[in-house]
Amino acid sequence: MNLLDVSNLHASVETDDGPQPILKGLNLTVKAGEVHAIMGPNGSGKSTLANVLSGRPGYAVDGGEAMLGGKNLLDLEPFERAQIGMFLAFQYPVEIPGVSNMEFLKASIDSLARARGEEQPNTASFMRTVRELAGSLDLDPAFLKRGVNEGFSGGEKKRNEIMQLLLLNPKLALLDETDSGLDIDALKVVADGVNRYRSESNGVVLITHYQRLLDYIVPDYVHVLSNGQIIESGDKSLALELEAKGYAWLT
Amino acid sequence: MADLALPKTLLVPAGLAEGLSEPGVTIGDVVQGALNSPAHRERWKYTKADGFLTQLVAPAEAPQINGEQQSGVRWWRETISKSMPGLDLQQGPEAFARLCFAGEAMRLDITGSVTDPVTLIHRANTLPVIVNLSANASLTLIEMIEGDEGQQTVWIDIGPNAEVKHSRNALNAASSSWQYSSVRLQSSARYHLNNHVLGCGVRRQDLHIIMDGQGAEAKLVSAGVVDNKAALDQQITLEHRQPKGRSEQTIHNIVANGGKCTFNGRIHIHDGASGTDAQLSNKNLGMGDNATINTKPELEIYTDDVSCSHGATVGTLSQEALFYLTSRGIDKAAAEALLSQGFLRQCIDGPLAETALNTMIGARELGASL
Ligand SMILES: Nc1ncnc2c1ncn2[C@@H]1O[C@H](COP(=O)(O)OP(=O)(O)O)[C@@H](O)[C@H]1O
Ligand SMILES: [Mg+2]
Repeated sequence: MNLLDVSNLHASVETDDGPQPILKGLNLTVKAGEVHAIMGPNGSGKSTLANVLSGRPGYAVDGGEAMLGGKNLLDLEPFERAQIGMFLAFQYPVEIPGVSNMEFLKASIDSLARARGEEQPNTASFMRTVRELAGSLDLDPAFLKRGVNEGFSGGEKKRNEIMQLLLLNPKLALLDETDSGLDIDALKVVADGVNRYRSESNGVVLITHYQRLLDYIVPDYVHVLSNGQIIESGDKSLALELEAKGYAWLT
Repeated sequence: MADLALPKTLLVPAGLAEGLSEPGVTIGDVVQGALNSPAHRERWKYTKADGFLTQLVAPAEAPQINGEQQSGVRWWRETISKSMPGLDLQQGPEAFARLCFAGEAMRLDITGSVTDPVTLIHRANTLPVIVNLSANASLTLIEMIEGDEGQQTVWIDIGPNAEVKHSRNALNAASSSWQYSSVRLQSSARYHLNNHVLGCGVRRQDLHIIMDGQGAEAKLVSAGVVDNKAALDQQITLEHRQPKGRSEQTIHNIVANGGKCTFNGRIHIHDGASGTDAQLSNKNLGMGDNATINTKPELEIYTDDVSCSHGATVGTLSQEALFYLTSRGIDKAAAEALLSQGFLRQCIDGPLAETALNTMIGARELGASL
């Protein structure tokens, strides 16, 4: 069975001037164990795809289907999507003062465990796990006591997203420009985190602007999104070609 | 202020009458006269004064005190007299009235760096408390407001380079509760108040801070919850009278389910108070049905060369933050609870923080261990 099945997806974003169609019949299939990269010019709808799949308010689905592990994603609330294994690494992670990172992570892991009928981890071992993960991503464990993403640099926010990915271990990871704004050292840390997450039982959709990330996270497939549709698919050599020629030759 | 419910028969005690217009004047007359000024009328605009003012004439007892038996601390009961410091009719008519009717006050003098906190527990109407810090002295002052009904008046005068760290919990389910505090800072003095408050039948908190010496610093951090048709009215006046003072006020209130919350934060920067830095931020979170929130920033600046910001917002939970939390599997109700707790927690601090957190937020397994 496919892990993710998106077929003929149409979606629009709600704007002050009414709904504006963005996705115009998008198809994407991800099998367990695969990494798919989605590239495309600014404004082509990459974030819209990630947002619609994870259930962000402000979008309307106008047609088509999206299934995760055989379940219809589009019927579910965002928290229910997470509970069946969806994870979005945000392009712009949100700052939440007053709610500590540790408290947030515990609430999250407890909710997921409850939903799956698993036992919630005890606080002490949970905190140990989180500290170790933080260390492995070059995050100072002291940040765990601070507010969620509060006062983090851009790079720290992105590494925090990867830490959550490793902790929550979802079935499908959507990474929305997790590489943007990172220097090369931070990029390697993030890529290393994603590679540690990869397994035969999960899948990754990497949204990125730059070929650079794909040197460190080698994709099985590369797709080009333009004007709300996937207009070209190939293997990683497509990314190199895009890097050399830009997008214009495809459209 | 027409129906001021103060008895007219009692005369202002001789010890305090000096300087008032006529001899033999009654307490009711002078206080009513003072309350009729525009500034004081404004203070009573959203909450009916009468119910509160009658508390001023009710019998009062000394608050319970802990920590008074340390060196550098003196605590005693004293009949009112003009030698009592800082009692200004125009500035605090109600406090003046409280003192007149009580006829005596509790005195707390601090003459050194006092290591253990001094705690005042108010279980009912309590006698006015007059706190004085000598130069360079320091004090951690804790106040707990308890009981079903009561009025508390506290004056704090902080000598040059002295410091007060003040924490107050007003979390009692009272029918009516009123805290009136007046703080005066001399040069380079420091005052820091952590205030935690629940709305109740009617709760009123007046705070008047006077930066009366150069380079004084005041900080107020307050968290409040006004739920289930409760009421809270907070009236804060902060005056910068001398140069180079710094003040910072952060007040977060959650108003839910028919709660009514009034906040009036006035900053007054006098002529000559150059180099003043004054910040005030009042954020209100409306939740549930029919929350009423009145918030009014008031700014009066009579000098150039000041840095001043004054903001008041009324809002709901951030949709962005809610989505972030729910995208990690946390259901909507739990995410809303986390966010509203986070909003409060930004303003809960100091030695009473744990009690305040538990009462205002409820014990949380992890929250307690962090
Ligand atoms: N909240 C919004 N309001 C108005 N327009 C939006 C909004 N979000 C996205 N859009 C528009 O939708 C299109 C696709 O945006 P997006 O999915 O963010 O593109 P990408 O991630 O590929 O850069 C763009 O034209 C953008 O301007
Ligand atoms: Mg984008």
